[in-house]
Amino acid sequence: MRITCPFCGERELGEFTYLGDAKPQRPSADAGEDAVYDYVYLRDNIAGVMSEHWYHGGGCRAWLKVTRNTLTHEISAVEAAAGAGAAKVGA
Amino acid sequence: MAEFSWDVRSPLERALIAGPYGAQGDSGVALTEIRNFDLVQVMARRGKAGEMIAAAKARFGVAAPETPKAIGTSDASLIWSGPDQFLVLSKGGKHSIEALAPVFAGSASLSDQSHARALISVSGDKARAMLAKLSSIDLHSDVFGVGAAAATSMDHTSVTLWRGADRNGQAVFNLLVFATFAESLWHTILDSTAEYGVTIGHSEEF
Ligand SMILES: [Zn+2]
Repeated sequence: MRITCPFCGERELGEFTYLGDAKPQRPSADAGEDAVYDYVYLRDNIAGVMSEHWYHGGGCRAWLKVTRNTLTHEISAVEAAAGAGAAKVGA
Repeated sequence: MAEFSWDVRSPLERALIAGPYGAQGDSGVALTEIRNFDLVQVMARRGKAGEMIAAAKARFGVAAPETPKAIGTSDASLIWSGPDQFLVLSKGGKHSIEALAPVFAGSASLSDQSHARALISVSGDKARAMLAKLSSIDLHSDVFGVGAAAATSMDHTSVTLWRGADRNGQAVFNLLVFATFAESLWHTILDSTAEYGVTIGHSEEF
């Protein structure tokens, strides 16, 4: 499997580290215990297209958001995660 | 009590043995450690990448690299190291962290890497063949020309790799590696290059 880093180009899997599901969003401070429990512990086990976080630690050290089919490993999109690169503030 | 030596030394001082190594005859690879350089990491502050690039242009006369490449000036190299960040490689103190601090005040954070990295220059007939064993990047001239750079890994070790100006009509590949990983990578490089024969040395000149 190879990932095309938006900053570096196509690179081998060994340069990247998998973080996991990119979908969960930190709940607001008053969201309640169930929402925090869900955010911290509960994950969907997706067979199909999934949005994931990957870290290009063996390269440019940017966090990436990768859209990958977990059944075929086909990657349909890679973009910089929010905050990657100081220029992309708030992106 | 333990006795400490505070002399400035190369991280490769122990591992590097100048002279020929590996196969006899014409050496296919020249391995040269470059010592005694100034290296400053420049990283844009949040939302200040444009200002950082303008500040670099005012200082060096060239724009800082915004894509993986290395830009040479008369007395420094600006090497891309990731989004909104680059390295300034020079010697003699002209572009030391003290000298650059006022240049990038407010636009970028600086960190002195002069003694945190080892700099290894690889050239010769078989340089690319040897590097192909360590790198998954295509280093063919059509793809990785003079001035191309990459933040990548060799033997699971992060390196900054770039192609310098050709020497005697041959490609020169430079790599910066973390000081504490330098000896390990050095031995891997020697293993990879032994079959071609190698001439090992060190220099204070880029
Ligand atoms: Zn990258």
